[in-house]
Amino acid sequence: MKTYIARRLLQLIPILFGITLLSFLLLHTGTADVVDVMESNTGSVMTETEKEQLRAELGLDRPLPVQYAAWLGRVLKGDMGVSYVSGRPVLPAFLSKLPATILLTVSSILLTVLISIPLGILSAVRHNRITDYIIRCFSFMGNSLPNFFVSLLLIYFFSLKLKLLPVMGNTAGWKSVILPTLTLALSMASRYTRQVRAAVLEELNKDYVQGARARGIHEKRILYGSVLRASMLTIVTLLALSVGSLLGGTAIVESIFLWDGVGRMAVDAITMRDYPVIQAYVIWMAVIYVCVNLFTDILYHYLDPRIRAGQEEMQWN
Amino acid sequence: MRKNGFWNRLCAGALAAVMAAGILTGCGGKAPDSEGQEAEGEKVFYYGDTTFNAENDESDVNPHNGYSGWACIRYGIGETLFKYSDAMEADPWLATEYTNVDETTWEITLRDGVTFTSGRSMDAQAVKECLEHLTEVHERAAGDLKIQEIAADGQKLTIRTEVPVPALINYLAEPYGCIIDMAAGITEDGNVSGTGPYRATLVETDKGLTLVKNEAYWDGMPRLDTIYVRTISDGDTLTMAMQSGELDGAYGLPYASLPLFEGTPYTISSVETSRSFFAVMNYKSEVLQDDRVRRAVAGAVDRKNFTEILLNGNGSPAEGPFPAGFSFGDQTVTAQPFAPKASRALLEEAGWTDTDGDGYVDKNGQKLTLRWLTYPSRQELPLLAESVQAVMKEIGIDLQVNCTANHLDFVAEGDWDIYASAFVTAPTGDPEFFFTTHCLDSSSKNRGGYHSDELEALEEQMSRTFDPEDRAKLATRMTQVILDDNGFVFASHLRMSIVSGEGVTGLTAHPCDYYEITVDLDKN
Repeated sequence: MKTYIARRLLQLIPILFGITLLSFLLLHTGTADVVDVMESNTGSVMTETEKEQLRAELGLDRPLPVQYAAWLGRVLKGDMGVSYVSGRPVLPAFLSKLPATILLTVSSILLTVLISIPLGILSAVRHNRITDYIIRCFSFMGNSLPNFFVSLLLIYFFSLKLKLLPVMGNTAGWKSVILPTLTLALSMASRYTRQVRAAVLEELNKDYVQGARARGIHEKRILYGSVLRASMLTIVTLLALSVGSLLGGTAIVESIFLWDGVGRMAVDAITMRDYPVIQAYVIWMAVIYVCVNLFTDILYHYLDPRIRAGQEEMQWN
Repeated sequence: MRKNGFWNRLCAGALAAVMAAGILTGCGGKAPDSEGQEAEGEKVFYYGDTTFNAENDESDVNPHNGYSGWACIRYGIGETLFKYSDAMEADPWLATEYTNVDETTWEITLRDGVTFTSGRSMDAQAVKECLEHLTEVHERAAGDLKIQEIAADGQKLTIRTEVPVPALINYLAEPYGCIIDMAAGITEDGNVSGTGPYRATLVETDKGLTLVKNEAYWDGMPRLDTIYVRTISDGDTLTMAMQSGELDGAYGLPYASLPLFEGTPYTISSVETSRSFFAVMNYKSEVLQDDRVRRAVAGAVDRKNFTEILLNGNGSPAEGPFPAGFSFGDQTVTAQPFAPKASRALLEEAGWTDTDGDGYVDKNGQKLTLRWLTYPSRQELPLLAESVQAVMKEIGIDLQVNCTANHLDFVAEGDWDIYASAFVTAPTGDPEFFFTTHCLDSSSKNRGGYHSDELEALEEQMSRTFDPEDRAKLATRMTQVILDDNGFVFASHLRMSIVSGEGVTGLTAHPCDYYEITVDLDKN
């Protein structure tokens, strides 16, 4: 297992190299450059000489491969560079936004699990009955509503009408986390409820369930002891993908709730062509996905005896 | 037993995840709800603003850093030697008077009894240190002020410029001219010690500021104890935070939201600014080299409909680049009026007629198609494009609108015929800025390649004219030149609004957009 983890972590190196190189090249395909964008966004007026000076200061006058090599060299030393926009080091700024993103990720994933697993199971067990129809109906609705609309509805009801929760995030302690969490969890839970339902239904139709029933094993024991555990593989895979995506930030929800996370930072950086910040974000995303996938694979190892058996077999061969 | 083990492991994993998140997010850190805990009798004000962020080059309150001077002056931290009046004329503020000794020498007398929040007295030496640092680190300021040397003597400051700078006093009223105590320095987070009614105790880029009152303020006692400025870039969030009462005042609300705040308990303060929405003709486009076509296009801009209907009255129809509040503003010039029939006749005169009956005019088998380039970040610009497109169709021009955030790529490629944008035409109250940036051969934003011998000559005259009245007359003539050439078509001037909540007084919109939080701001 240790060798396996080490091998997977080593795979990060070519992945990071490829992703950063690709994103770097894509960012430079436009004809407008950083200095022009900065001038336009601030409404300032710069002479061509001033622009050239600024380009030279930022190192943008050098050939692309040189720019990339210089950036890579700095990153290997732990220096992510300085933001073109704020003029401040990227790494501390990026790290300062991570806690808010992690908090929102954990809270929304937990709420998603708490909503979707019981409802999914209930929907599967009550297959094609009124409970199933109601759950499926809400699930369709939740899937259809875009996040920005859900967040505005939640603000309207909970903040404006009921005056229970604040509109602005990060200003009222634990209360601030409720609405953004609900916004993210509602749409994810709607999706997962259907996935859990489908996974549980599939398992319920398998021969071993029929066999267990024939042997008189209690329905609850079959459901929680065998079916749900077998269904967990699908659910864990989906959750892992969601965790990756949430850790990358949710720009719209962050903007609406003034949640100071990495999503907003990334979108602003792209708008402003703030390459050092964008590259830091790209690295973060690559690391997240590799690590989350690795974690999921390890989890499979514990959840699915077939995978364990396969790995042991490979070791013996 | 084994099954229980599985669920136990799963629960333990989930618990570990929560604990890890708690540690990573710093559960024991700074209480985010510390704001809002008002002591009894303490006056706290919550202000929502769309502009305090790095994207606007306002990453802190240090006036010597990019456009952060706007934050410094808007939030009552810093003050300038001169201040713009409602008519955008520079009046003394931290200065009491000035004398233009000769073309390059200015003597400025400073106000007595003014202290920085650091405790230091504001004298000529302190101002000298501040301006010297400004011109050393701020390229735009150095380029505007062209200061050669500064002499300090008590409260008397003498500035010598390298070349005549007729608008020097106006430039000193620009937000970068906020006078700060350089001895106290600039903190790592970009905080400074100014002379304003409030001082910042917390500066958080993209998030906001915490301000407390300056007890030693020279022009009266500020009424509020603490002000929280919150950066809210989303218009709907800003609107609902104002509606829910979480904010006492808001700047930058979407036009569509303003009707929600008409009537008690809200107050809307609106003012016409010199932020103008206008279109530039591309002289490299063969079709637009014909003056009659440019006039036809100019006659297709329905300013009244655009400002009254599409902008809900949140703008005023523009004739030229400057609003009527300026002595050289719209009331002094005449633009091509909105006249679709006359536009159609002009096109016919230029040889463009609808020969194939498809509704669009053509010449030599070529349909008249124009590419209108604009961008969506200013909510007014897409509306302007739609409005013009509808009228253009009436007069037989096929207008293809390209509204993209990537507009600068298209500008650089020359892939456009008409480019519509927004610009603050007179940020210092002086008219020369707009012409030098947009209309001359040397202008960096003369994107359409406009050229006028007459305008070049008038600018030459303007650069040597010191008297404000003479400069205003010259500005009027220069504006008329560009309007007669139909190289620029001005559609509207922005009406800027600030909304105050219940019991709030003293939050007033100003034409220059610089003064928001002042000593007069109060909440009862």
